Parts: sequence; C-alpha cells; structure tokens
Amino acid sequence: MANVTKPDPVDVVVVGLGACGGTAVKVLCEAGLKVVGFDRGPWLRPEEHYSGDELKYVNRNYLWPDPDLFPRTLRHDEESTAVPFPFSPTPQLVGGGTNHWAGWVPRPRESDFMLRSLHGEIPGASLADWPYRYEDLEPYLTKIEWEFGVSGIAGADKYEPFRSKGYPSPPLRPTRWGTKFYRACKEMGINAFPLPHASVTNDHKGRKPFNNTSFWNQYGDPSTARSNTLTTFIPEAMATGNLDLRAECFVREVKVDKTGRATGVVYVDPNGDEVEQDAEAVILTLGAIESARLLLLSTSAQHPQGLANSSGLVGKNATFHEYLFAGGLFDKDIDDPLYGWTGNYISGGSLQFYDTEEDRGHIGGCIIAASQTCHPINWVFPGRPAWGSALKDADRTFFNWAMKIGLILHDLPVEKNRVDLDPTHKDAWGLPVARITHKPHPNDVAMGKWQVDKNAEILETAGARKIIPVYLEEMTGNTCHQHGTARMGFDPATSVLNEWGQTHDVDNVFVLDGSGFPTATGVNPTLTMMAHTWRCAEYLTENYAKGRAEHLSPAR
Amino acid sequence: MTLKSDWQVVGAPIDPDTDERLFFTDHEWDTIEAATARIIPTDHDPGAREARAVVFIDRYLSGIDYIYAAADGSGFLKISGKFADAWRGRQVEMQKTYRKGIRDLDAVCQQNFDKPFVELDDAVQDQALELFSGAPKPPPVTLGSSEAASTFLQGTFDQGMPFFKALCLHTVQGFYCDPVYGGNKDQVGWKTIGFPGPKSLKDTMDGTYTSLPYFQEDYDWKDLIPHLTEPPEGPPTT
Repeated sequence: MANVTKPDPVDVVVVGLGACGGTAVKVLCEAGLKVVGFDRGPWLRPEEHYSGDELKYVNRNYLWPDPDLFPRTLRHDEESTAVPFPFSPTPQLVGGGTNHWAGWVPRPRESDFMLRSLHGEIPGASLADWPYRYEDLEPYLTKIEWEFGVSGIAGADKYEPFRSKGYPSPPLRPTRWGTKFYRACKEMGINAFPLPHASVTNDHKGRKPFNNTSFWNQYGDPSTARSNTLTTFIPEAMATGNLDLRAECFVREVKVDKTGRATGVVYVDPNGDEVEQDAEAVILTLGAIESARLLLLSTSAQHPQGLANSSGLVGKNATFHEYLFAGGLFDKDIDDPLYGWTGNYISGGSLQFYDTEEDRGHIGGCIIAASQTCHPINWVFPGRPAWGSALKDADRTFFNWAMKIGLILHDLPVEKNRVDLDPTHKDAWGLPVARITHKPHPNDVAMGKWQVDKNAEILETAGARKIIPVYLEEMTGNTCHQHGTARMGFDPATSVLNEWGQTHDVDNVFVLDGSGFPTATGVNPTLTMMAHTWRCAEYLTENYAKGRAEHLSPAR
Repeated sequence: MTLKSDWQVVGAPIDPDTDERLFFTDHEWDTIEAATARIIPTDHDPGAREARAVVFIDRYLSGIDYIYAAADGSGFLKISGKFADAWRGRQVEMQKTYRKGIRDLDAVCQQNFDKPFVELDDAVQDQALELFSGAPKPPPVTLGSSEAASTFLQGTFDQGMPFFKALCLHTVQGFYCDPVYGGNKDQVGWKTIGFPGPKSLKDTMDGTYTSLPYFQEDYDWKDLIPHLTEPPEGPPTT
C-alpha cells in the first residue's frame, strides 16, 4: 500500500451520509464547522445515473447493498447459528435510503414518546420512555418538512398532534387504486388522507419535479421530485465550503486517546489504503445496524466491550418494523382497471388505528396505507403461479386489477433482539459482519394479525374479489427501518446516549440516527430521525462546541 | 480504482434477434428456449420465445458485461473493483447451476421419456418439468377465496437459487425487462399484460414518459376526505 499523507484535522467527522448524516452535515456546515463526511458507497449523480430500469434496481442490487460485499447474518433465536441474509438492506451510498425510498413521512404521535408511562411493564418487552416529548421535537419536524420538502394537506389527518405550520407542497393527485381506498374508508368511517410524502409537486426551493413515471419505490429519481439528501441537504452543505465529502471510503474504527476520548476515525480509501482522519468530535449516522457495529468494532483498552458500551446495551433492544399487507385482486370482466403500478408508491393512508384500544388485544398500533403493487417482473402478488399458462393468465388478468393496503408494524423493543458481531462471517474488508438476532414479541404478531385483517376488511368494502393477507412470522427487515441499538435515556446504566444523542461514556461521540430511539414508533421513522438529528446537531453547534452542557430534567 | 460513480458506459443495447451464443452451447440454447416457452407459453399473445428470453438469459450468464444497463439504455456499465469481483464470483456459480441443471433435466427426460427435453412435445415437456421440479404444474388463480402468506423482502435476487427456480425468475425477467437487456422484444411482454412502459429508458429521465393518464382523472379532496371541512392550508392543491 502506498503511503498516504495524513489529512488535516477538522472539527467534526460524520460517518454515513444518508437521511441523518445528510441532515447533520447541513446543520454543522451552515453553523461554520469544518466537517469531513464519509460514506462507504458512491456519490451518484441522479440526472445522469437514475432511470426506470426494474431489473437493475429491484433484481440486481444497483442500490441495495451487494450481499457479498456487505453481508449480514440472521438468526431467530439465541441457540441457532446465524446464516447470511440481507436483513434490512438500506442502500449504502451518499443520500442513503432517501435515494430509493417511497418517502412516507408521517409525524409521530405524542404517545410514541411515553409508552412506558402509558403501559408500564409489559412482560417480555423493554419499554422505555423517550428522554424528550413530542413538543420538544415539533419545531424540528416543521424544519424538515420545509427545508427537505414534504407534500401533504394540513388538517386532513384527524389524529395528528399539534403542528406549527402546514406543508410546503400539495400532494400528487390520487391514483385509481388510491381512490378505491379513500372511498372504502369513507364508507367505513375511517379517516383516510394523502400521507405526508417526501416529495414536492411544485417548484419549492427551485426544484423541478418532472418525474411522473411511477418508477418510484426502490428506484432512484432523476428529477428533483423526491426529497433525497443527495440532492437537497448535501449540496446545501457543500455550498458552505465547509464540507469535505469522501465517498467510497470505508470507516472501520473510531480511534480513542489514552483517556478514552475519540480522536477521529480510521478509514480505507478507494485505493485500499488505510488513512486516519482526526477530529474534535465524531458523529455516527450509519443507521442503527451499522452504527452499533462500528461501536462494537471500536474496541480499545479503555473501551474493551466496544466504544460507549459500559452499559453493555450497544446493539440491544433493536426494532425494525416490518411491512405487512393485505393484497386484493379485482375482476377484469366486471371492475374498472386500477393500474396498481401507478403512483409514487403511497396514495392514501390512515392513522386511525394508531393508539391503544383495549378491545384489540394488543397495545399500540400503526400507520396503514394503500400502496403501489409495482412493476411487471416483480409485481406484488404472493401466490403468483411460478410457471405455465397459470402464470401468464394471472399476469394478464390481474396485473392492472390489483391493489394492496399495507402497514408498518410497531414492534416492541426486546432486550434480546439485537445486533452484534458475527463470530465467523466477514465482509469484503475482512471485518466481522452485523449479526441480527430477532424473535417477534407476541404483541407484534397480534398487532400484525389484527391490522392485516382490518386492511382486508377495507379491501372487501372496496370490492376486492380475492384477498391475500400477509402476516408476520419472522422479521425480514423489509422496511429498512432500524432503531434502538443505542437507546437514549437519562441513566448511563440503562441507556447508551443522552437526550442529545451524545454517548454517556465519551463526550465527543454522538450517534444521531435511529439508534437512539428507545421505542420504534408506529410510523415510518425517517422524518422523526431527521428532526432528531437536526435537534441534536443544533445542540452540538450551539452548546457543545462552545463548551457548554445543558440537560433536560428527567422529572418533567 | 474507478469509482462506482464513474463506471463507464460500454457496448450497445442487446440485439434480440441475434443467433450468436455467448454462453450456451447450441443444445443448451435450444433446451432453454424450449423451457422458457413452457414457463411463459405462446397463446393468442406472444410468449417467452417471441420475447427472446433465451437471448436475455444467455447474455446475463455470459459474464459481467450485461448486468446493469446504462441509465439511458445506450449500453452497459463497466463494473469495477470489489463489485466486479463479487459479480464474477456469482456468475461463475450461476453458470454451473445452469450447466448442471440442463444436464439433470435431460437425464430426467431420458429416463422417463427416452428423449432429451428439447425433443419432447409441449404436453410431455410440461410433465417433465413437473417431475424435475417435484411439484405439479401451477393451477389457475381463482377468485372468491383468501389465501394467506407470510412476509418477504422487497427485492428478488437470484443468488443461490436452484436451477428451475432461477430459470422461472429469469424467464419472467426476460419477458418483462427493459428491451435493452435483449428480452421483451418489441415490448411484447408489456403489451401482453397491458403495461404501457416507456419507449426507452432515456424517456424516463427527462419527463418524456409520463404515467399520469393512468391516475384518477376527476377528484375532489373534500369528497375523498370528509374530515377536511376547511380549505387546505398552504399552497393550493393541484
């Protein structure tokens, strides 16, 4: 390996430039801090690299992580040996999951921040309140909606908590299958509305959202319709002159000094050379799986169990959501076509079933949404015949006569559900991969069953003539949502991070992604994560960087 | 090393009418072409044979030159570095899966029908595929019932798939892929199921291709959302 000159030290290193890292670099650079941002994946150019190629995106992992380079392993109980499985395959590149996401960005509810207070001890679960409340996050939810770009209709969600401002963009018009959903909900007395969406339909902040192709979920967007940190926050951070972005660089360790404080990171550059980058503070925003992995990989005499892991809780209490749904087929000879492949994935949803109702037999609840059945190769039809005239007839008869209504399962935290280092499997850099151990809590299975059946009822009301309920057996990580592996709290014995995402053990290490979420929430987490990142990054620039500390009172 | 963001565009779209074999032997080509024609048969609409699924599969298996089309469909991306190594390794495995799979299929046919697969007529080929796959030919989908399933990942990747499962997936891909990959000739797959896909990948990059005509035409948010009694705040809805 060639000798590489050690780069100059900077104020902050940010590792992982997805939804949260993109937000962090914007806030830090605009406040005048010098930042080096790392991503292990490429820095693509959407207008040049993205188009509606189903094979490339859905079948050949152009954005999904290459399973041989970035493997993960999975097991469903303590006793089993984990096997390679692409669990929660969030794209690893500049912009991260905001490159390919459908972009549901509903707000969390007040109850999400206080599940432990509301429900007490639930056997088998490790419920905890968040160290802050909805009202602490509200101003930052609004900032993200306006700075990042979210479309929606304020006042349409009957159950939404207080919001200080409407949306910067109106929603995309409904699809035909979305309209079916709206009408069925109206008949059943369910409050359905266009879910807030990380996209704009107007020229908000000079954007030109021309993409109406319906190549949306899992595809990159060559226009600026989709809100993607690659095309929004990262260019804004670059424009300050304070961001040095290093793509296709793999950070393998956070370095510490004799006192155990972080001094920077060690990374492998695109030529395979190992380089050290020093910084005053280190922010991890790799997603809750990879952030936990990097902490666990960063062992030293001062941190023998991994960085910031004196509690032994790094990696534990992991929650992942799971996308479940009920699919419905209609009758080509009688019904109008639905064109299930159209739209920007979601078209109509509801939060009517979100908060606990005793007679459902489970606590909590989750968001539901009608969503796209996607494109011809991979259109979503569990039970699609494998071959023969049955396959051809099914595609010809139902491709344009199908819809589905999904949900994002609000899974409960369980201490044994966790991320740790696999004892045998290594990635392409020779480092142990993240091993997922996960078994659903009985409440997860019950919630999934109840809500899938409710969604099937809506489909029946809509006139579906065949219903396919898709239930939870085991988690696959199909939402790419990751949380909880470094939970926030006030007590260093029972949490890894404080209310600012700062590790209790090492004052200059922050973990500013979903790792800190004590509970998963029942909504898609990215809006909440980005607002959380903004709030914490602002604390870093306004207090921490100026030598001040400030804390919320646990007794509020 | 060439970064992924700088992968070069090389070559040209695959010609679906080519007879040149990059991976298959003549016998393998004929066998796969015949098998794809049983997986998506020709009826009053074209099937996998007319879509040239065999060309699609041959190019895919030939190495790593036809993995990712360039965004605009003008050619293919030249994969570099660790990505190239990973793809090469996987393609070698899939080549072995096909070579052995075709031999095994012929062995089943010889044993039961005294002929290789390609020499059997359609109905017997179906029987052979049933014997080979160990499962009956899938029955037609019927309405009026409910059949439960369990959760799965969004993407479908072929790594580690057994031969027949991979062949079924690749046939579907060859029937419905963007034509740049050599299958779905003249968009026959899309036409068969009524998918009005783009003329070219390039048309999806610049606003030329739109799916808006297939959205709901007339709508009124206040009708769809009874809760919305006040006029919406913010910019007017479109």
